[in-house]
Amino acid sequence: MVLTIRAGNATRLAAVDVQAQKLGLCVGMTLADARARYPALAVQPCDPEADARLLDRLAAEMVRFTPMVALDPPDGLVLDTTGCAHLFGGEEVLARQAVAATGLSTHHAFGSSSVSARALARFGDPFGNGDEAAALRHLPVAALELEPDALLALRRAGLTTLGELEKRPLKVLEARFGKTASLRLRQVMGDTDSPIVPRRSLPPVRVEARFAEPLIRTDDALEVIEDMLRQAAQQLEQRQQGGRRFVVQLERSDGAKRRLAVETGLPVRDPAVVMRLLRERIETLSDPLDPGFGFDAIRLAVPRAEPLKPRQAGLEGDDSAMEDSVSELIDRLGTRLGSNRVLRLRPRDTHIPEIAQGLIPAGPPGKEAWPAPRLPRPLYLFTPPQPIEAMAEVPDGPPRRFRWRGELRDIRLAEGPERIAAEWWRKMDGHHFGAGGLTRDYYRVEDEQGRRYWVFRHGLFEEQQGPRWYIHGLFS
Amino acid sequence: MNGNILELGAPPRDASRLEKRPLLQAGYLHEIHARRDDWAAASAFALSSIARDRAGTILSLRIAEQGGFRALPYGDGLAGLGIEPGRLVIVQATNALELLRAGLESARCPGIAGVLLETWGRFAEYDLTASRRLSLAAERSQLPVLLLRGEADQRPSSAQTRWEIVSAPSIAWSGQAPGMPVIEAELLRQRGGPAGIRWRLEWDAEHGGFRETAMLGTVVPLPFLRTGEEGGRSRAA
Repeated sequence: MVLTIRAGNATRLAAVDVQAQKLGLCVGMTLADARARYPALAVQPCDPEADARLLDRLAAEMVRFTPMVALDPPDGLVLDTTGCAHLFGGEEVLARQAVAATGLSTHHAFGSSSVSARALARFGDPFGNGDEAAALRHLPVAALELEPDALLALRRAGLTTLGELEKRPLKVLEARFGKTASLRLRQVMGDTDSPIVPRRSLPPVRVEARFAEPLIRTDDALEVIEDMLRQAAQQLEQRQQGGRRFVVQLERSDGAKRRLAVETGLPVRDPAVVMRLLRERIETLSDPLDPGFGFDAIRLAVPRAEPLKPRQAGLEGDDSAMEDSVSELIDRLGTRLGSNRVLRLRPRDTHIPEIAQGLIPAGPPGKEAWPAPRLPRPLYLFTPPQPIEAMAEVPDGPPRRFRWRGELRDIRLAEGPERIAAEWWRKMDGHHFGAGGLTRDYYRVEDEQGRRYWVFRHGLFEEQQGPRWYIHGLFS
Repeated sequence: MNGNILELGAPPRDASRLEKRPLLQAGYLHEIHARRDDWAAASAFALSSIARDRAGTILSLRIAEQGGFRALPYGDGLAGLGIEPGRLVIVQATNALELLRAGLESARCPGIAGVLLETWGRFAEYDLTASRRLSLAAERSQLPVLLLRGEADQRPSSAQTRWEIVSAPSIAWSGQAPGMPVIEAELLRQRGGPAGIRWRLEWDAEHGGFRETAMLGTVVPLPFLRTGEEGGRSRAA
């Protein structure tokens, strides 16, 4: 198994697994060379963005071991375990738990500074005896991660380990191999500080209001919520964020709790917009918001927030206000009817007509254009296709007349067939004749009244005895 | 821009026809009647008239699985009519009241291109009050609001125009293939104008929208739509 990446005009290996490594494949080799050696190689494209996302997620998980977690891109995490290790019963136990939490095969090492830990993890001996200083001294010079020519110069000078390097006076190293080399050496050996920049996630915006006297009227509660939204908006503005999800929890004096949650398609801060959505939500509640003996606390949280830059009003005709009004409308309809009832069409990469489009909850309009259809397609598509009784003049020809919804329709004009085969490559042994599924022959036909239909015969005559006919769509 | 969303481009043969030129004008409510079998034709007529003159989102509201008609607008078909499918937002209401409320709310939003309400049968909730509300909303937002009525009887309403759309035989291409869509549009009623006029309209693939056919049957139009890649491109352009 190897992962590949395109570099210039060649596809090169970006990562190899243990098995591939044993076969003698290495990172940087061209895919053509690797394939020439092992034609049965399993190849997948490398996806650095997904890697970064995974690393980010792992970093978020590592917070349970220590609050000081930093990313070490592209594939490392640095955990500052100072003062945390004893909570887990020692460093080794903590490391074991952390490795188990990732669920991946990993290298790890401990060091007195972040850079030395990194060097030990990447270049060190995994079976060291725990003596950090000795292990560091045995590291190869590659652990300094210098430029290739600086590394070559070190090797040419006969220096292979950091221990040998450390014995030379720093001044000489600096003069001969550059300032970076000496700096890196001191960092790896732990002589200088190498602070980490821990990843910090901001706590979600929360606003809470408690009342000495319970609020009896729902309108009063709504007023308080609006005020809280204004406070939340200020906090969000400081973070340059807008909320995508707002949750209001109303706590009644008898202990009952009610939750109201609204979501928006675009990040928003405007309290009026959120209020309108909340009112929608309250209206659609199956049992109304009953204050009972009154609400004595209201909490507001914004669990999902996304970056939202303060917007500068344009000088000329401002389109953004119009766009906002559309996304607000979609949000309102989605809140009232449910987001699975406010939909947009999305193309899918297949030629089977009924799968070629999907329905997704309507968000802001997509940027990518719809691929231009190559052949005429109907305006309406039946899902599933409706069976018809059809008569054709010749077995392989278009229907002469057909019966649909109990009415006989005589065909005046016909075009076709457009032959659409089943997706045989998705099936086991689908490439054998008849095993991939039935082929459809589509015809565009027009009847005497000028109605245009899209009908198909399900199966070729070689594939099936007496194939059935279906109507699949209506043309304008 | 004069706000007309349907332009019947061919020059009228006599001057009296010029005044009778029908318009699906923005800022008004229009009703379009169609039989079940002519549904696609009526829908194409409505959608193309919204999409042609205005940019932005088109809201198509319907009651889910109404009239035994489990058909959805098909993206490739829309693209074939020159309507970018990404512009269409489909709202599936559960009942007529919900449909009308959502339609009214959409009609009040000036940022969209237009509203298309697909209704079936009697649709008793659509009374004078409801139609007046839709008309007022359309007037305020200056949007075209179109109400498709499938298999329905005519009912008094405050709509600006009322149409009946029927499919008509197309002019065949070579090889007995169905040609460009042809429809017959009848203006049943027009507020402050003459009614009862019929047009035979053919799809104009070059400019999008339906146009009056010039002397149907005698002129063979150059087929713009062909079953080939290039044909698809020019239609979508």
